[in-house]
Amino acid sequence: MSVWSELGPRQWHEFVNKEVCVTARDQHSYTGHVFTVDPVSASVVLVSPAGPERPSVTMVLGHAVQEVQVLSAGTEEALSCMKHLFTPGHTATFSAEELGARRESLCAWLQKNRVPVHEEGEMLRVADTLTINAPYGPGDCTCNNEIILARVQSLIQSHSTHDLEK
Amino acid sequence: ESRMKPPVTVLRLPRGPEPNNEEEEQQMRSKMREQFLRVLLLMAHKRVDIELHGKLRMRAQFGTSDIDVLNFQVSDLETPLGVQKEALLRCNDLISCSFEL
Repeated sequence: MSVWSELGPRQWHEFVNKEVCVTARDQHSYTGHVFTVDPVSASVVLVSPAGPERPSVTMVLGHAVQEVQVLSAGTEEALSCMKHLFTPGHTATFSAEELGARRESLCAWLQKNRVPVHEEGEMLRVADTLTINAPYGPGDCTCNNEIILARVQSLIQSHSTHDLEK
Repeated sequence: ESRMKPPVTVLRLPRGPEPNNEEEEQQMRSKMREQFLRVLLLMAHKRVDIELHGKLRMRAQFGTSDIDVLNFQVSDLETPLGVQKEALLRCNDLISCSFEL
């Protein structure tokens, strides 16, 4: 294998979802299913096969990867395990009522902090540039402006700790 | 005087690269990067096992990474010399970073 970090997105993508053995510097070796390869650093994210132990995730830094060998195409079990773990849709943990309450509570908090926000269906819209989706946590914001994003995320964060202190 | 110019030989070239090449590659790139960012989000605040050169291992609470994955910010780093409250680890010094779900 030519240098892993120089392979490029097409070739890295070939490894996604496969069960592999990654050999790294200093004789380190890791086995698991490839969840993704970071195109910026060529780092490989492996999810250990779902078993009796709790699944673990290992990130092998791109610069340290010497070889990646495909062991198998990836079991159905592992694929669904990975899909489940990383799906952004975690709204299943809250009921519709709870989501509504969270949305209203956050909306009030943002308004209290002089943020121009209004409810738009199940979303919260801030100044027409930022959107907050269920379940209205800091990670549920979408925005093109880093500064606005950071500000709102920080407010959401302080809102949840504010709630905990009550 | 109108005279037809002699016909020019047409050279047939082999089929070139797919015109969608760039876009497809770019989509792969952004999808894989997005998934990687989700991993970083998932890793935040978790205890991680870090492997460095020379079989050295440390544990810490993962904070975040910079955009180029050059530095990791961690807390309560357990080093052979004691616990470091806050630390910045150079990714070039790391081999792997693991956590349990």
